[in-house]
Parts: sequence; structure tokens; C-alpha cells
Amino acid sequence: MQEPIIRVDHLSKTYLSKERKKGQRGKKKVHALDDVNLAIHDGEIFGLLGPNGAGKTTLIKCLTTLLLPSSGDAWINGYDVLRQEDMVRASIGCMLMGDRGLYWKLTGRENLDYFGALYHVPREVRRTRIDDLVTLLKLSDFMDRTVETYSAGQRMILAFAKALINDAPILILDEPTVTMDVPTARELRHIVKELNRQGKTILYTTHLMHEAEELCDRVGIIDHGKIIALGTTADLKASISTEDIVELEGIFPETTVRRMRDVPGIRDVVVTPMDSGLTKLDVACENSRMMLPRIIDAVTGNGASIQVIKPKEVTLEDVFIAKTGRTLSVDTRVLGEKEARPRGG
Amino acid sequence: MADETVGRGIGLGRPGWRASAGVAWTVFVARLKIISRYKGAILLESFLPVFFAALPILLGTAVAGNEQNAANNFFQNTSSMGQGTSQYRLYMLLGSSTFMVVSLMLWLIGYWIRREQETGTLEAIYLAPAKRLHILAGVTSYSLVRSLTAFIVAMTIGSLLFGVNPLDGNLIAAIGYLILGIPALWGLSFIFGAMIMRVKEANSVIQLIQWVVPFFMGVYFPVTMFPPLMRFIAMTFPPTLMNDAMRSALLNISSLYGPGYVVIGLMFMAAWITPLLGYEFFGLMERRIRRNAGVGQY
Repeated sequence: MQEPIIRVDHLSKTYLSKERKKGQRGKKKVHALDDVNLAIHDGEIFGLLGPNGAGKTTLIKCLTTLLLPSSGDAWINGYDVLRQEDMVRASIGCMLMGDRGLYWKLTGRENLDYFGALYHVPREVRRTRIDDLVTLLKLSDFMDRTVETYSAGQRMILAFAKALINDAPILILDEPTVTMDVPTARELRHIVKELNRQGKTILYTTHLMHEAEELCDRVGIIDHGKIIALGTTADLKASISTEDIVELEGIFPETTVRRMRDVPGIRDVVVTPMDSGLTKLDVACENSRMMLPRIIDAVTGNGASIQVIKPKEVTLEDVFIAKTGRTLSVDTRVLGEKEARPRGG
Repeated sequence: MADETVGRGIGLGRPGWRASAGVAWTVFVARLKIISRYKGAILLESFLPVFFAALPILLGTAVAGNEQNAANNFFQNTSSMGQGTSQYRLYMLLGSSTFMVVSLMLWLIGYWIRREQETGTLEAIYLAPAKRLHILAGVTSYSLVRSLTAFIVAMTIGSLLFGVNPLDGNLIAAIGYLILGIPALWGLSFIFGAMIMRVKEANSVIQLIQWVVPFFMGVYFPVTMFPPLMRFIAMTFPPTLMNDAMRSALLNISSLYGPGYVVIGLMFMAAWITPLLGYEFFGLMERRIRRNAGVGQY
């Protein structure tokens, strides 16, 4: 039986958020986490998915002791998050703020040494560990320059190295590949897998579905402060595979979309604007083969034009849509891996 | 250890007194490295007290007509307050240099917290198991070194410029009073830092303190010139005590607080109570922040 190394029990967090409306000041209660229950198993990569503002960061901040929950309990690595804060902090390596959290006037090596000391890593051990990380993450080209001279990607990889400095059994990575170029992000995912193979438990938040599918043993989808789906990626996909999805790309006026929604057999149409200026439609229906002529009929005319039509494989994005009725990519499409840019120069 | 989850150790971390001392030392060294990479910062701030002192010295001489008149007037006014001295130049130079120590101790902590908030390093520090006290020990040690450097440079340059000799007085006692006054400044800096962490803005608080602190410290005049209530407030302010004690030693004048043993007793009391109050206030503010938005919000 798999044992949990992170356990969350009825965790809730309510903020008092200041509001200013028409010159009136007020305070509004925001339920960032609502009775969250979760167990992350020892040695797994667990993906926490959800749109911006869903509660991912709040949950992670509660687990890492940065925030005090309003109610509920949590344990990490055998320690109580509320009562044994120092031991909880010592049990985890974190990368929460992207490339923030680094001293720009210190070199990469000095940054790692500084944070190593804060994690109580003895000086000699620290030196060896830093050398190992330089080799593992290929930092040698820029390690002895001050961080102010780094590219965004270099700062991200240094922030990742910082999370590894204490070689903790648990790694918490919040959107680690944002602002990384594609090869570096791929390399980082490879290293994450390798660290997991060495026995580390990894809690990984991402907006990128392909990342979650590539890396995670299990995922939890969080929305409005609640875990709305939990399981392996295969299980979650299987849970909604009772319906087919046909994907269309092209130009679709509003009237066309309305007409499609009225077609018997079509359950839902999700509209996603694409960067190219085209629109993507995900048409959920009972039997895509039988429905295809009717879908084409409904789309034809009214200035609509189809450029691509294909049956779609179920993805985690579809799971999110099925559970919430919204797309994850609309919330987060500004984020993602950047165009390839060389690292190290 | 709770049984609610499995435990897998804490990696390379080895908590203990050596590690805690290592935290304070590493923070101290890192701060020094960072400031040394801003060329000329330490040297430039050392000139500030000289200018601070030059303003009232030159103004006093101008109003009195000549230096002798200024010295006589100052002696007359301060002797009626029980601190008769004609060395108005040294009085003001020492006052402004001591104020520099006080303000740097407060500013450096305030700006440190604000900067760490803005750059995200404060959140990174809060993610680590190092105790806040050990980190603060590193930062306050750094601010102490920096402010003492400014004090020594300012006193040296000021003494040469204004033709005064601080070595005429009891220098050892003055240094003793300075050292004894430092823990109370740490306490005040914790309070100041906690306020900045809470309001998330450093400049307005620093601007205010820049004027209020020297006023209540009696940088250019004895605080006995204040009306009774203000005098009481000023005299309970630890930097006023430190400033007055150092003046009494270097200028061979009596302290406003009474005989030497009373001054030392009060300074010991301030050295214990203020840091404890300051650290408690810091902890209180920190818990409040963690209950709401967290230290990462800036």
C-alpha cells in the first residue's frame, strides 16, 4: 500500500480582501480553499492543476507554512504543518516564485551558498552540493556572474537549483518552466523525472496540460478552492470518455455556434480563440462518426469557414472542461514556454 | 513526530547551534558583499553627519556674531539645564554622528525588509527553516558594522573640519555607552522593520522618522529644553539616553539622567527590555501577516 507523505485534512482558508468601489471601502471574505482533503503518496509526482485564482498557490503556501490556514490540518514528511513549522520547512525544497527570490547583486554560487546556510546545510557539504548542482543543471557558464546579468531562463534554472540545495525528500515546484525556453524546459522535466526516480516526492503545479500528462503519476484539479477531480491521468480521462469530442478550427460567427448548440446530439460547444486569429470549437457529442455530417451542416454558411476538422483525443483540458464547463487554456494562455533561446550565453 | 504521514528525513540539513551561527554569519557576509558592490555607498553616507552638524554650527556662529559669542551663549544656555559646555561644535558633531548610528540601524532594517519583500527574497527566507532571530542577528550585525563605520569616519572628518578633539574626553566610557546602547537600537529596529513589513512601504515611515528621531534625541540641544511631557517622552527614548551618556563622557558634563550608575542601570534595562519587546512585536506582526495575505504580498 502506498503511504502518504503529504496529507491535507479539511483545510480551509478564508481571506479578508479589501475592496474599493465608487469611493466606498469595504472588506470581502474570499474563500480561497474550501475543505480540501488530499493525500500525496511517497515517491510520486503529483500534479496540481487549475486556472489562475483557483487556490493552487494558497494551498501550496499553507503547506509550506507561508500562510496559516483558517481551519483544518496538514502533515508533511511526518511533521505537523501548524506545530512543527521548522521541520516542515526543512523537509521541502521549493520553487514558488519563478525567478524571484534571488539576490541580484550576488553570483549564482553565492545565492546557493546563502540559501544552503538558511537550510542548515553544513559549509563543506554545501560546497560539494553546489558543485553537483552546477554539473547536473549545466550552470557553469554563468554561475560566477552576478544574477543581474542573467537571462530570464538562467534565473529560472538557478531558482530551480536553489530548490535542490538541501536535497530534501519533497520538492514543491510551482510553474517551474514558465519563462524557460523549450529545450531548457524539456531538460528540467527530464531532471524532475530523474529526481523522482531517485525517490523524491514532487508536488508540481502547472497550467500546461502536456507537462502534467508527461510528468505526473496522479493529478488533482482544483477550482474555486475545491479539489474537483483526483486520480491518475488515465483514470481522469476515462471518467469522461463516454462522449466524443470533435475539434474544429476556422472562422465561426456567433450565430453558427448558437445553431450548433441547438443540434440534437450535440451536448456542448466550447469556443476558444486562438493566437492565429482563428477560433477553435470543441464539440462534445454522443457519437462523433454519426454526428459528423450534422456538425458540418450546422457550420456551413453564414460566413463560417472550416480549416481543420478532426476527432479529438481526450486530454486533461477536457477533463477540466467537463468538470467546470470552462476551459483552462483561456485563463492561462498568456503563460507557456517561450520560443527557444540559447541558455548559457 | 506525528504518524499522519510517512517520514523520509530532512536531506542535507543539520540543525544545531553551529548551523544557527552559520545562518547569522552567512547573512552578515552576504549583506556586506551586496553593499560593497554598490560603489562608494558606505563612504558617501559617512559624510552625512558632517553636513548635519555643519548646519547648526554655522547657523549658531552666524546668529551669535562670532565663535566666542556662540560658545558663550551655548555655555550659558546649557549650564542652566545642568549640562554647561562651551564645546558646541563637538556637542553637535557627536549628536549628529550618534543620530547617524541610530538612523542607519533603523533605515537599514527597514529598507532590508522592504527590498526583500519587493524582490521576493523575503518569501524565500520564510520558506527556509532558519529561525527569524538568527537571520535578524545577521542583518543587525551588518547594520551595526555599517553604522559604526559611518560614525567613526564622520567623527574623524568632522573633528578635523571643525577643529575639535573628541579624545580630550573619556573616550573609553563613550565607546562603552555606545556598545551598551546598541541592543536597544536592535529592539527599535525590529519594531520599525515589523511596521514596514505590515504597511509595505518604507519611504514615508523613514521620512517621518528622519525628523522625529533627531528631534526627540536632542541632536543639537539638551532635551531639557522641551516642555515637561515632551521631555518625558524624549528621555524614555533609548537613543536619547545613549546620546546623552556619550556626551557626558566625551564633554565631561553631567548626564541629564543623573549619576553614572543610574545611567548605566537605565542603559542595561533598555538593552534587555527593548530587544525583547521588539522581537515580540515582530513575531506578532509576522503571525498577523501570515494569517492574512502572507509575506509574499508586496
